[in-house]
Amino acid sequence: MSQWGWVTLAYIVTFGSLGVYAWSIAYRLRTTRRRLRELE
Amino acid sequence: MTDRTSTWPWVVIAGAAALSFTLAMVSPADAVQGNLVRIMYVHVPAAWLAYFAFFVTLVGSVGYLATRSLRWDRVAASSAEIGVFFTGLAIVLGMIWGKPTWGVWWTWDARLTLTAIMFFVYLGYLALRRTTTDPHIRAKRAAVLGIIGVVQIPLVHFSVTWWRTLHQPPSLIRPDGPQIQDSLMLLALVVGVIAFTAIYAALMVKRVELQAVEEQLTAAELSVDRPVAGEAVTAPDLALGGEA
Amino acid sequence: MTAGFWVQARSVADRDLLRERRRGEVLWITIPFGVIALLLVPLAVGTDIPLLRRIGPGLFWVIVMLFGVLVAVRQANTDSPAQRDAAALLGLDPAASFVGQTLTSALLLVGFEVLVGIAAVAFYDLPLQGWPWLLVVFPLVALGLALLGTLAGSIVSSVNAGTALVPLLVAPLSVPLLLAATQALEGLRLGRSILSWLLLMATVVLVLAIVGVLTARPLQETR
Repeated sequence: MSQWGWVTLAYIVTFGSLGVYAWSIAYRLRTTRRRLRELE
Repeated sequence: MTDRTSTWPWVVIAGAAALSFTLAMVSPADAVQGNLVRIMYVHVPAAWLAYFAFFVTLVGSVGYLATRSLRWDRVAASSAEIGVFFTGLAIVLGMIWGKPTWGVWWTWDARLTLTAIMFFVYLGYLALRRTTTDPHIRAKRAAVLGIIGVVQIPLVHFSVTWWRTLHQPPSLIRPDGPQIQDSLMLLALVVGVIAFTAIYAALMVKRVELQAVEEQLTAAELSVDRPVAGEAVTAPDLALGGEA
Repeated sequence: MTAGFWVQARSVADRDLLRERRRGEVLWITIPFGVIALLLVPLAVGTDIPLLRRIGPGLFWVIVMLFGVLVAVRQANTDSPAQRDAAALLGLDPAASFVGQTLTSALLLVGFEVLVGIAAVAFYDLPLQGWPWLLVVFPLVALGLALLGTLAGSIVSSVNAGTALVPLLVAPLSVPLLLAATQALEGLRLGRSILSWLLLMATVVLVLAIVGVLTARPLQETR
């Protein structure tokens, strides 16, 4: 694989996983709030 | 508590990521490593945050034991989870950098080995938290483990570094980072570290918020009045002569 | 009127998988334990790449045998005596329960093999020739180990024994699986046929499955 190939892989992994992790926090916030509302 | 949660942390994350990416791309290639040096602009910030998040977990753990306020525990736990993320990322990026540079996925140098060990200490901390549901018992146990773990890290660091200097494999080029010759390279690196730190702070804001909401949910679930047998049993209507 | 054998086995398996999804013990504890064992060995024996390449595959399988069995043990011992009595009274076929538990353990063990295997490839710089055969080797070994672990788990009463008794019982009995697995990887590396080793694994699985099903009901009475 060319150097740019490795660099692309590194950046996809970095910002892709960051996006997934940030989204997971937002998702958990949404669902937990919804369950909280259902109980009240 | 209003449902409209702030969105500025997400904006910060996106903006910082874009800034870091742009600078990494416009900086020049390295004389020795070529374009591979661009991986350094994400690997070094990720590694920096791995250590920093660990430190914040220590602060949170001490803070909880000193004040018994769950606020500190939330900080410790959130930083640990974000820390696992950045530690794992640092390891994977180290491997992606290492494979084309030295031909192997894993180089057993002091820094990479130490980061791997830290990853498992963090993971154990998170695994411990999962086993206890009571917030204060969980906070106390986690705080003790957090302190033990972080206090051990300098010892682990020292022992691993010493081990590496004694057993330096002769054929392996010392896996140091490339020399920073260019001011634009230095800028890209510094901006990367600052940007990632901003990303960490934004993630912390949201993650601590999540921790607080989850604790609210657990408390609410425990305090809800539930009929003992549910709807399976109904009280007899005495007005109709006792027929169930 | 009780449900058929496979329906019962399936519902036991579903319940066990649900338990694991809730507790996350395999994902958060057993697998990290396996990976960290892989991390510790080179710290002790040295990081010479040719050495690591040589010991890597064998070490991987030893870790699967010793730590992986913990996956099957947990599954077998999560029922309280009251729960087991209730299941027996409801007419749950103990053989179906055995099959269900084994299948779940085997599935979780494949996950263990894959994730710990990735770490082994990374840490020990292992070659991946002939990797499609792993699609056969991994499930076979997982099934054999799951059978051993579930059987051993149901023999040992978890209340009296410590946590190490089941691994102690399983370890020597897992030798045929260990040898077959390591020789299979060695054969793949050298480009030889591994069919005889696969046959050995399949035989182990068959023998254990028959024993497990036949002894399920007698064992139920000992608990």
